[in-house]
Amino acid sequence: MRIVAVTACPTGIAHTYMAAEQLEKTAKRLGHIIKVETQGAMGIENELRQSDIDAAEVAIFATDIAVEQPERFARIRTVTVPVQLVLRDPAAVFDKL
Amino acid sequence: MPLEIRFNCQLAGGVHARPASALEELTARFRSEFSLVNERNGCRANARSVLALVASDIRLDDACRLEIAGPDEQEAHAEMARFLRERFPCCDNDIPTVQPPGEEFSLPPDLRESTMTYWRATPAAAGIGLGRIVEIEPFELPETLANMRPLGAEQERRRIEEGLYALNAALAEQAARMPSDAAAGIVAAHQAIARDPEFRASLIEAVTAVGLCAARAVAESEAHFSRMLMATSSELLHQRVLDVQDVCRQLLDKIYGEAARRSEAPLTEDAICLAESLTPSQLLALDRRYLKGLVLFQPGTTSHVHILARSFGIPTLTRAVGLTGRRIAGELAVVDAEIGLLATNLDETARRYYAMEQDRLRRRQARLLRLAEGPGDTSDGQPLQIAANISSADEAACGVAAGADGVGLFRTEMLFMNRDRPPSEGEQFEEYRRALYAAAGKPVIIRTLDAGGDKPLPFLNQPVEANPFLGCRGVRLYPRHEALFRAQVRALLRASVFGPLKMLAPMVSHLDEVRWMRRIVEEESARIPETGQQGKRHVPLGVMLEVPSIAFALDHFCREVDFFSIGSNDLLQYFLAADRANPGVSGISDPLSPGFLRLLKKAVDDVHTHGKRIGLCGEMAISVRYLPLLVGLGLDEISVAVPAVAEIKAALARLSSSDCSELLTAVLRSPTAREAAECLDRFHQQSCDPIVDENLILMSSGSRTKAEAIKEIVDNFFVQGRTDRPRDVEVAIWQRESVYSTGLGYGIAIPHCKSDSLRADTMGLLRLDQPVDWGSVDGQPVKLVILLGLRESSPKETHMRIFSRLARRLMHEDFRARLIEPCDPASTLNALQEELELA
Repeated sequence: MRIVAVTACPTGIAHTYMAAEQLEKTAKRLGHIIKVETQGAMGIENELRQSDIDAAEVAIFATDIAVEQPERFARIRTVTVPVQLVLRDPAAVFDKL
Repeated sequence: MPLEIRFNCQLAGGVHARPASALEELTARFRSEFSLVNERNGCRANARSVLALVASDIRLDDACRLEIAGPDEQEAHAEMARFLRERFPCCDNDIPTVQPPGEEFSLPPDLRESTMTYWRATPAAAGIGLGRIVEIEPFELPETLANMRPLGAEQERRRIEEGLYALNAALAEQAARMPSDAAAGIVAAHQAIARDPEFRASLIEAVTAVGLCAARAVAESEAHFSRMLMATSSELLHQRVLDVQDVCRQLLDKIYGEAARRSEAPLTEDAICLAESLTPSQLLALDRRYLKGLVLFQPGTTSHVHILARSFGIPTLTRAVGLTGRRIAGELAVVDAEIGLLATNLDETARRYYAMEQDRLRRRQARLLRLAEGPGDTSDGQPLQIAANISSADEAACGVAAGADGVGLFRTEMLFMNRDRPPSEGEQFEEYRRALYAAAGKPVIIRTLDAGGDKPLPFLNQPVEANPFLGCRGVRLYPRHEALFRAQVRALLRASVFGPLKMLAPMVSHLDEVRWMRRIVEEESARIPETGQQGKRHVPLGVMLEVPSIAFALDHFCREVDFFSIGSNDLLQYFLAADRANPGVSGISDPLSPGFLRLLKKAVDDVHTHGKRIGLCGEMAISVRYLPLLVGLGLDEISVAVPAVAEIKAALARLSSSDCSELLTAVLRSPTAREAAECLDRFHQQSCDPIVDENLILMSSGSRTKAEAIKEIVDNFFVQGRTDRPRDVEVAIWQRESVYSTGLGYGIAIPHCKSDSLRADTMGLLRLDQPVDWGSVDGQPVKLVILLGLRESSPKETHMRIFSRLARRLMHEDFRARLIEPCDPASTLNALQEELELA
């Protein structure tokens, strides 16, 4: 599956990046293609282009706070999960897709 | 039927001593009887008695009724009505409001489980002290007086009457000499008590009806009126108890003289002293080996006792809420002047907490002392002497022990304050000699008397000045009080035999003043051998640079003056024409103002051109923030409060002089103080320490809970100088923790926060001997804690990059193993450096 994801946590110092890493690692293991954008203390990094989003089947929002620029995802199915679920049981996140 | 005036009390502080005195003063003009009735509580007070008025506990918005009956009731009614409408509501416009302790107070997480009893209070001198409570009675009659047999009602009554007469005369004289309205107001309040009919009646009744001696009568009356004031709800009135005490002590002094002065029982074990208030001399009389903490119920009218407590490092609290009247003498207690509380009934949790607290402060102190032992140099070897500001000889030893390169400013005013006549030459000589002795061969700069301005002295009989800060203060007073000045000079010259003493003249604006001083010094110097005493022939004479004009005549001054000391507080307020104590213009007196910095630069350069030394001894010196600028200026010395010496020295060792001069050049180019501040902030951000070092990795922790583990790491940040406000950092950590636990599983937790209470972005590691519950996502206890602290205003890129890399790497087992397995800080640090591409 082709997936895009956004991670964002309250302070943007740690969990944003842990979740991104965990999603990338797990996607690889499960044979998915994923691109993860982080919205943390350094602002938006690894920013998703509209073409990435349009090409994907689903968007994962692993977020505890509001996603920035949500309008980009208007035409795609989104699944929102708490950041902690990504850390605790990343496979379960992909089961939801 | 009496005439009536009804009104609502509009005074924020209620009817306390000052409004009551104003009302009482007006009653004196009439023969009628006046009763003020507080309709809220039904209290009826004789309006001719200030004490009765204040005891009626009239608070803001209370409905009141003034009843007037007597021969001149019509005029009195008209006059009183006008007074109550116009003047009474503004009686205390200039009284600072007493801040009730903030509502946002909460115990640190580690203490919330504790069952200890505690009272909140306002910290006045930082620290943690543990000891048994010793109550210092507010008023204790010397035994000889207390047990005195009454001489007979008539004789005792005469003693009271004569004492009151003498006291009133003395107060009237004192009031006339007060240089400011505020100071006169205090004396007026004392006068009002001394002539209060109820006070007098209570004294007379005690000797005639009860048959006490005058001394006991004064003590009983004082206790009675103090209780009455304490029973009211107003904190302002509680503070007035001090005035009653003061008047009673002065009255005893008038009646009995020397015999009425008292002495305290000595301390014999670690003690927390509880007192209504203390005078500086009372504090000095306590044995500081055992004095571990002070709790003063009232802040008092002078802050000298707080300054002394800070200098001696005695944790001090004021305004303990709800403690009044509790009998806790003899109990083991903690004075926590870090968060502001007094605690007793300490349980295991509290004991562990305070053991950690004391350990934290002790380790920080030890680290600072290590740093203090080093030379006062920048990292590239430019010397800057760090000296101590003191106001008594006792502090000199503390300063030297804290690593000071001598005394940069001995304010001699303290010797002259709170007394009826100036200290004798011998007394001064002894004090200066002791300071030199304590300084152990290091230079001691002693400033000659700097009175006037905000520091009036009763025996100088100074006329009231419309603007005392621009009036007769400092050196300007000397010609009018030549004998006083000569005595100080002689004491200084005689003391100069005992070490490198330098004399510093305050408030100099013209060279003539220096010449006059020098002439007196030379005359006295020549005279000393005639009296069979010893003194150095030549003692260096310096001037304070606080009047801006001399900065533009330094070439002249340098020819006749040996050294200079910039008094940055006064110089700033004179130079920018803004009172530093006036909050309305506080933004104006900014030391980063371009004009002010250029003035400093010019002064330092000019003095150095002429081969003389120049230091700085104001508040600007105490801030680590301004230190790079002071280094950049090339000052020879800065002088700071004793507790700041070691930290400033440590901060100095981290600075490079070339970076500092570059910074100064950039700051001098800034057109506004705001831009200068930005420049300075950028400098501090860039020159900060590495994000982690070996001292930040704690390998074997005995912490038993999540709260203790977090405290241990943050306390270590404090010990290592990464933060001065560990409590704020902890609060930020717990705020994040309250969203959801940072236990990420695998036995690891990464608590983190953004807080400008950190001096630099910092990472700390803690390995726990016993895993603790962290509420982790996998439900497993935590063995390794990695705490990340980022400054709010940090440049985003650099350190955040490291933190995000760390977060990502933690998702990989091989990295976790590298962190969890090694058992020494060096290999953990090594692993971090490799994996996170630090270094």
